[in-house]
Amino acid sequence: MSGDITHRAAQWIAGGATLVAGSVLSDSAIEHYRGSFANKAMFLPLGASALSIVHDGNLAARGARTGAVGSWTSGTHAASVGVGAAGLGFHVYNIAKQPGGFSLGNFFYQAPIGAPAALVFAGALGAAAHALSSGASALGPVPLQSGRALAGFTALGLAGTAGEAALLHFRGAYHNPAMWLPVTIPPMAALALARTALTGRVHWVTTASLAATAALGLLGTAFHAYGVSRNMGGWKNWRQNLLAGPPVAAPPAFAGVAIAGLGALLLIRRFSRG
Amino acid sequence: MFTHDGWVPMRDYGEDAVDFVIVGTGAGGGTLACKLAEAGFSVIAMDAGAYWRPLEDFASDEQEQTKLYWTDDRIVDGDDPIHLGANNSGKAVGGSTVHYMMVSLRFRPEWFNSRTKLGYGADWPLEWREMWRYYREAEEALCISGPVRYPWGPQRPRYPYRAHPLNAPARYLARGAEKLGIAWSETPIATLSAPRGKAHPCVYRGFCASGCTTNAKQSVLNTWLPRALAAGAEIRDLAMAGRVETKNGRATGVHYFRNGQWRFQCARNVVVAGYAIETPRLLLNSSSSEFPDGLANSSGMVGKNLMVHLNQSVFGYSGDEIRSYKAPPSLALTEHWNYEDRGKDYHGGWCYMAPGPLPADWARTVSAKGKWGAGLLEEMSRYNHAVGLKMVGEVLPYERNRVSLSEQTDRYGLPIARVTFGFGDNERAMRTHALDFMDRALDAVGVTERWRNEEETAHLMGTARMGEDPATSVVNADCRSWDIPNLWVCDGSVFPTSGGVNPSLTIQALACRTGDRIAELAARGEL
Amino acid sequence: MADPFSAYDVLAKRDTPSWNERTRDVIDKRLALAIAENVLGDTQLATLRVIVARVCPDPPDRPATNTLAMIVRKIAEDEGDGYRPHTLPRTAECWRRGLDAIEDEARLRFNCGFASIEPDQADEILYAVESGKMCSELWGNLSPELFWKWRLLPDLVSSHWAQPSLWSAMGFGGPASPRGYVRLTENRHDPWEASEDAATNSSHALSQDHEE
Repeated sequence: MSGDITHRAAQWIAGGATLVAGSVLSDSAIEHYRGSFANKAMFLPLGASALSIVHDGNLAARGARTGAVGSWTSGTHAASVGVGAAGLGFHVYNIAKQPGGFSLGNFFYQAPIGAPAALVFAGALGAAAHALSSGASALGPVPLQSGRALAGFTALGLAGTAGEAALLHFRGAYHNPAMWLPVTIPPMAALALARTALTGRVHWVTTASLAATAALGLLGTAFHAYGVSRNMGGWKNWRQNLLAGPPVAAPPAFAGVAIAGLGALLLIRRFSRG
Repeated sequence: MFTHDGWVPMRDYGEDAVDFVIVGTGAGGGTLACKLAEAGFSVIAMDAGAYWRPLEDFASDEQEQTKLYWTDDRIVDGDDPIHLGANNSGKAVGGSTVHYMMVSLRFRPEWFNSRTKLGYGADWPLEWREMWRYYREAEEALCISGPVRYPWGPQRPRYPYRAHPLNAPARYLARGAEKLGIAWSETPIATLSAPRGKAHPCVYRGFCASGCTTNAKQSVLNTWLPRALAAGAEIRDLAMAGRVETKNGRATGVHYFRNGQWRFQCARNVVVAGYAIETPRLLLNSSSSEFPDGLANSSGMVGKNLMVHLNQSVFGYSGDEIRSYKAPPSLALTEHWNYEDRGKDYHGGWCYMAPGPLPADWARTVSAKGKWGAGLLEEMSRYNHAVGLKMVGEVLPYERNRVSLSEQTDRYGLPIARVTFGFGDNERAMRTHALDFMDRALDAVGVTERWRNEEETAHLMGTARMGEDPATSVVNADCRSWDIPNLWVCDGSVFPTSGGVNPSLTIQALACRTGDRIAELAARGEL
Repeated sequence: MADPFSAYDVLAKRDTPSWNERTRDVIDKRLALAIAENVLGDTQLATLRVIVARVCPDPPDRPATNTLAMIVRKIAEDEGDGYRPHTLPRTAECWRRGLDAIEDEARLRFNCGFASIEPDQADEILYAVESGKMCSELWGNLSPELFWKWRLLPDLVSSHWAQPSLWSAMGFGGPASPRGYVRLTENRHDPWEASEDAATNSSHALSQDHEE
């Protein structure tokens, strides 16, 4: 019974990791294409996130229990974390050397901080999901079974993702009222989830706000697709507008993080029940 | 305007008397038409140019889009005859804002009192704090995209939209400024960085000087005028005003040429808003036995104190590909020398921006340094590596620089304008300082083979200046003429001084103020 | 002179989102523009043809341009620019008098029509117009320097660099609406822009001493 819940939680978390990695894959493909793949390292996040998708997607879809985590799988997640961390460093370095340095303009338009962080997040979530599924009680020093560490981690991820949405929607001057949604609902979910992580008790608000965030992530893609059509030439001018308009691939990251959070709630509930 | 084949309803007043007839629909007239219509007045704004619909009428082509410029004949003379036409005047509903560069800067506060505070030029009869409020109104109407923090002058509210990303020439400007230790900024600019209503955000096509095909450019044509129409104003295009009629010391209406014949529009008030050449030309062409020297000209100042801006540049070549045809020009600027007076041996201020010339414009620039034939063709092939800096510098008012009437007439039989201009020592000293400085700023970022383009000017101001004294000015602070109480002037010609920034935002702010003042005066029965 | 954008043809973008309907129409008409008849005399036209070839040569290996036809159209319509120095007559009269004076100058110097002299000789006369050192009495009160600086050169280069062949040869992106550009920083360009040939690129790379 408890093993089933653990496995189901692992599946949810793996599913969340898959969505985040998917968002990273499509977003970095588009953004690094914008950057003309000027540096060969710009291909790395594509490979890392694609591998994460294969492994985590597999786990999310699979019903049966697995044995010990294979080294290939561990390697994949380590690669995502490593590539993400390196990307983060490179993006920071890149901003530093632009005219204006760490200015708002460069945070708007230069290499984003949030994107490589999302890859780190996807890798870590994937690793946790696989560890859970294999019955491990901890991932390195981090305890897994209580779900509270995972809840805290996803709360952090949610806050970061909302922070990036806040920055980029500020760049768009919140010209559409819907642009306020991802900077209101996910932060509420992040707070509720953080509280759950600290107290170990699941309030319905936590579940509801996470579910709303997940739905918002998918809805956001539709909003962004509409946003692309609002640019000159609409979808007929997709070669420009996919790059110039709002990133169609970004909002599912919210859904991914929220779904992982819901997975963590499954674990926490098990203890609060029993 | 905002959809293909779209139409909006417009009121038709016929030729019975309206509260206001406005001659010109540019930054001054178009803005005022909106303000007055929204205040409940009946308004007809006429323009000699056509009412274009950018989405379907505009091509991506410099040559074709010369249809936006005032290309009727004018004579230029003086020691430094200025270039008109494409450079500084528009003939279209929306005026020259249809092809302006959208740079939307506020005056330095002291410039409104440059005579008392800085010791040159003339004082404006206005207080800068009041103008600060009207600047804000204009910035909101145009949804200016600008930096969150502007490095110069008193603090201002946040611009409605965020600044655009920098193109390569702007990045060169920024790096050069950083190397020379002065501040730079993203330019507050009237083109959208995000959608607004049905208008698309800027696609960085770079044809700004040829008119914007996407409606991203926030011009009078697609901001103030739709509001004016909605409030009941009539815009009468292809209507060339020839004469303001007066009787018993008051204006009675405007004679104008439309559809092949001269017509007359009665009005209780006449606003002349034809910019700094057509405004004095119309006032002078309207002379009568009652006003033998032209209307509103008891001071003799109509046509005098014509000012332009210094618009000289330094260009050179970089090893990098620059491709300055992309994105609006002037995405970055420095106003350092507008706010820093130490180290100057002249009066006034200047700023510089990163230009983005299109091919024909660039060919004229390169050929002007004496290149033609194979040498020109060769140098033009290096277009994508060219990068430069271009100044906007304050020119002092001199009475000898003026608009007068020539003996020659145009196709309407109206005497054409003669525009006399020459720089003074102050302008030459500023030009030397600015060109030296910009040369250093390019040198600092590795731009080589630099040369100086010493001739260009931009913008037009003066010729119907505002002031406190009827003996030395044409209009008062409300842009109302001293001589004829129901005759107003609302455009760049009322500027007593030119300031070191592009004038369009100040013209629009002034028009906003004039609109509010007219409504107040009307409420008090003082019109 | 090597064409640095040998693989690029701006007209290839005609049917892409870079061109709107209006632009296609305008450029199609420009490319199809014929030299208007009965605007200039035969000798004037022959003189103008050589001036265009000397001052604004066509780039090698590119389709021929229509610059001459555009100038003749401008003369036919007596199209102004919105300003002229008081000593210069309007466009059409200014061009006709200038062309006649240049022809006369060639006859005075080389005893031969301008259209028939050697290219070097034609250039010699054009340099003389530019610097105002003219002998022909046909100039009258028309200043050769002003004619060169305010009429001849701006008219010629404005029409010449309105030609797609010249846009291709200089690597200009050309018409751009509804599609504009995405990549705006130095050394980056969109796939629908011209790529510079590697060889010419290095010859232009004169300074690489700042960061990037």
